[in-house]
Amino acid sequence: MKKVLIADDASFMRQMIRDIIEPEGWEVVGEASDGVDVVEKYKKLHPDVVMMDIVMPKRSGIDAVKAIKAEDPGARVVMCSALGQEALVTEAIQAGAKDFIVKPFKPDAVLSTLAKVAEKAE
Amino acid sequence: MDLAKYRALFLEEATEHLAEMSRACLALEKEPANGEAIDLVFRLAHSIKGMAASLDYDAVTRLAHRLEDRMAEWRAQGRVDTPDGMLLLFRGLEGLERTIGVVQATGECPPPDTELLDRLAAKKA
Repeated sequence: MKKVLIADDASFMRQMIRDIIEPEGWEVVGEASDGVDVVEKYKKLHPDVVMMDIVMPKRSGIDAVKAIKAEDPGARVVMCSALGQEALVTEAIQAGAKDFIVKPFKPDAVLSTLAKVAEKAE
Repeated sequence: MDLAKYRALFLEEATEHLAEMSRACLALEKEPANGEAIDLVFRLAHSIKGMAASLDYDAVTRLAHRLEDRMAEWRAQGRVDTPDGMLLLFRGLEGLERTIGVVQATGECPPPDTELLDRLAAKKA
């Protein structure tokens, strides 16, 4: 079972991702509510994929991607963005994120993106 | 999707966000160049936008999006314009409170406040 770490400051969004992916066989190994927390939890939990909001407190999603990639160059991070954040998504991809999904989440898109990114990890 | 569960989660979290946003707006009223407060309002508006969009609450989504964009402009210039920008910021906050209040009271999202949306979209307040 593939392990996922979810990072978003809104517990609403974390719950929504959990509800989409857990029934499909993904294991949520942890949740983080800010950009510092996600880096710390990545080091402890070593998930297969991180799903991370692009706008977070304490440390932005982009800075957190950079920190995670510095810790583990093979890390697989999927950014969660919203409409109107194309520039930030480009920046996140340049920082090492593998892919992105756009809010509001469509379950099929979330699952196919996760599967694609996890496959790259194998 | 379990709409009742997510509506309850949204109302709980959005209410907390609005209270935090209100405190940040008061801080900005005293200090319009308070970068931390500008950043906080930007982030809270972004968060409300994401949750509301997930529930198809169009009026909340559009208002939060306009406020987020406006905060991004003020962040880039390093301060909120006074007094007009501050007035607009408080109107945006009140608009979100009012719209989310209707969701709480009725379970339905009201139509968008197009006049407020237009004012928030205008380059100059």
